[in-house]
Amino acid sequence: MSDARELGRRLREALGTDSVKTTPEDLAAYSFDACGEDRLPDAAVLPNDAREVSAIVRIARDCGVPIVARGAGTGLCGGAVPVSGGIVVSFARMNRIVSLDVPGRRARVQAGLVNLELSRATAASGLFFGPDPSSQKSSTLGGNAATNAGGPRAYSCGSMSAHVLGIEFVDATGDIVCASIDDPGYDLVATLVGSEGTLGIVTTLDLRLLRMPRAVCVAFAAFDAIETASACVSAIVAAGIGATALEIMDRTIVRAVEAHYHAGYPLEAGAVLLVELAGEPADVEASERAVATLAREHGALAWRSAADARERDALWAARKGAAGALGRIAPNYYIQDATVPRTRLPQAVRAVETIARGCGLPVGNVVHAGDGNLHPLIMFDRRVPREREAVVAAGHEILAACIELGGTISGEHGIGYEKRDTLPLVYSSDDIATMQRLHDAFDPSRVFNPEKIFPRGAICGEVLAPGATEAPP
Amino acid sequence: MTQTSSKKYALGTRAPDFAHVAETIADVSATLRESDAIGRAVVLFGGGTLQGMGSVPVRYDVALDCSRLNRILEHEPADLTIAVEAGCTLANLEQTLAAAGRFLPLDAPRASLATVGGTLASGWLGPRRAAYGRSRDFVIGTTCVLADGTIASAGGMVVKNVTGYDLSKLYVGSLGTLVALVRANLRTLPLPQARRLAIASLPEGTRARTVSHLAALAIEPAAAVIVKGFSKSIDGSDGLDGRVFVLFEGTQRTVDAATRELRSTLGAAGVPETRLLERDIGPAFARLIDAYIEPLGSRSITYRSYGAPANATPRLDAFERVARASDLEAETIEDLRTGDVIARISSRLTPDFAERAVAFDAQRRTALAGARIVSAPERLRARLDGWGAPPASLATMKAVKARFDPHGTLAPGRFVGRI
Repeated sequence: MSDARELGRRLREALGTDSVKTTPEDLAAYSFDACGEDRLPDAAVLPNDAREVSAIVRIARDCGVPIVARGAGTGLCGGAVPVSGGIVVSFARMNRIVSLDVPGRRARVQAGLVNLELSRATAASGLFFGPDPSSQKSSTLGGNAATNAGGPRAYSCGSMSAHVLGIEFVDATGDIVCASIDDPGYDLVATLVGSEGTLGIVTTLDLRLLRMPRAVCVAFAAFDAIETASACVSAIVAAGIGATALEIMDRTIVRAVEAHYHAGYPLEAGAVLLVELAGEPADVEASERAVATLAREHGALAWRSAADARERDALWAARKGAAGALGRIAPNYYIQDATVPRTRLPQAVRAVETIARGCGLPVGNVVHAGDGNLHPLIMFDRRVPREREAVVAAGHEILAACIELGGTISGEHGIGYEKRDTLPLVYSSDDIATMQRLHDAFDPSRVFNPEKIFPRGAICGEVLAPGATEAPP
Repeated sequence: MTQTSSKKYALGTRAPDFAHVAETIADVSATLRESDAIGRAVVLFGGGTLQGMGSVPVRYDVALDCSRLNRILEHEPADLTIAVEAGCTLANLEQTLAAAGRFLPLDAPRASLATVGGTLASGWLGPRRAAYGRSRDFVIGTTCVLADGTIASAGGMVVKNVTGYDLSKLYVGSLGTLVALVRANLRTLPLPQARRLAIASLPEGTRARTVSHLAALAIEPAAAVIVKGFSKSIDGSDGLDGRVFVLFEGTQRTVDAATRELRSTLGAAGVPETRLLERDIGPAFARLIDAYIEPLGSRSITYRSYGAPANATPRLDAFERVARASDLEAETIEDLRTGDVIARISSRLTPDFAERAVAFDAQRRTALAGARIVSAPERLRARLDGWGAPPASLATMKAVKARFDPHGTLAPGRFVGRI
């Protein structure tokens, strides 16, 4: 306890009283993310700039406590949970656009800027930011970078790593280091993106902006089942039609979002395929015809194209609100994140259905179908121990099934705490040891986000995570 | 594994003591394990086309040629993925993909010799990356051999993957100093329906307007560069301000519309005539890319400088200015979309070239600190600064090297900051 008091005292001395939280009531807000795990940190700090982050790292080293960087806490696998206590560094105050270069199409932002804020701020200049995770109204660009987040549009423009041009980060010694993709030498930018806060603390990002397309079409096709919708997606991908996003929602999800958003999705459909096309007006028209034809050939029951921007936004708002809307159906839900090769999607959704039926719990599916990235949502009541156990087991089975199909266990949320023991299902011990070499080059004393990514055994002593999860409101 | 003459693997003024040609991944592993154990330094070879990049290794005992590891392992056109062994040539990759209506814009020189592994290891970046992405953005998985012989994989065959560290992206651009790449899994793209290459000579005083007008095109080109010089290797002929190349790729309709827009845009910039290439675009574009490293006999050095398009012209001007001051000539390629500047510095007079070139290289360190050498006469390389100023993150890079290759087995001293 006296150690924690000393830590609080030193942090206050360096950052001021206003930036340091140490009471249990205050710390509760920094104890969890969208995974069910929680643990109170010893302190939570709200730095204003990289120099303050540097001071925090030096204090943490002196006091021998770990540091966990926190964006908005929307991650699904415990990446932001301070499972060993220590300091949570919140980026809530580092949320500015530092500079915007419209002709050069780039922006420099602080890591705590909310994803959607960047596109809002650049819209008037005809630019937008590519990666658009469903959490983009709340998740931060620093957090997006940490998990190499994608979202629906990753299908056409790639995940975060394709959009980060430069990074300022604080390393394990407390030094502020800048890296750019134009630097000679190792690509530290691509190395840091997706490293889940285990290599350094990113304070500033240089991001690529995209020019708004001249035409956009958002449309959906209704299918009798998620398998036929998936087969249609495989055909669209194979045909090389330049869609910007290909998303599937099954009946459970469609009904939940319609009750909430009234976007006009058909309630009777077994699954809905949401398609976005963007580019030159004539190309978009031609692609729309081609996709509609493929949909019909794959047994689509209906095809509807949004008439205007308002309808387009409504279709997207409902899709991106899918997880939240499930609150109407079950008290808790567990979202899985796995990827399979695109053509294996029909088999993967069939496997999910079989597994869900086996565990006796209802399941909904939202799928970044163009990328083969599945998000099955299993509904349960965490107060019922049997359901809690069943959901964890089903989650594990889904991951195993996806690996069996040539896929992997995370498409855009990372490994974090919850999936770390699953890592050996995908990689050999030599593969994992190679990752550890990289880790040790950056953070040999394990200051940053310990007990994440790497399976238990590398570090021991913690209790098995229950895994049953609940998303934030 | 076969032994071969070591002469063709000479770098700088040094030939290695041993040259091994690997037939299998196990060969690569055995050679590295043995070399690492007894302190021999190893340089990896693919097609050898980009060995002119960077500094000469400070130690060099073994050449390890991976070009025979050249199979296509898995090609899944419907998934838009392909897996190849590192020694697969770019030409073979391109042909295989094209047969299935796919492509990958890696755009490295000498595609019939250049290998996928070498292209990735060198971090090669082509002019179409503004439209399609960087080479590393296409790498979804790798298998590599570490200096101690360990075989390790990262990533997989899926296009979206955050399962552990994305080590593949660290290996891209590591120039054979961290690992030996033996397999690459790549994301591919649907082949565009139509392509067109426009070439126009720039009359005196039209360059600046051409640059600004092309930046404002409504339909963005896949590539746009201004070339000055390279008259024997790249198509077209210079006006007083050089010549411009604009490549469009997409649907026939859009390429047609883009061409109309380009013609009127160039016309407004004072460029009267635009020649259009519909056929043989591939070879013409390949000649442009080849020029990025092509030497002029043994009396040229080629530099490459990265940066924003907005400051490409000042960097290009600096190359010309310093060249003039050293009584050398500069031929240049300015990439309007990516901001790359290529400058081939040469002399008509062979006898004086070495001294002038060394003087040029010393002078450019202030005006063009970030420029790197991509091609230079082997006899001069040890006297030149291959990398320019080291980056601010050099200490972190050295720490990475120390963990992956603690004995300095892989091309020691070749990389930036003598890594």
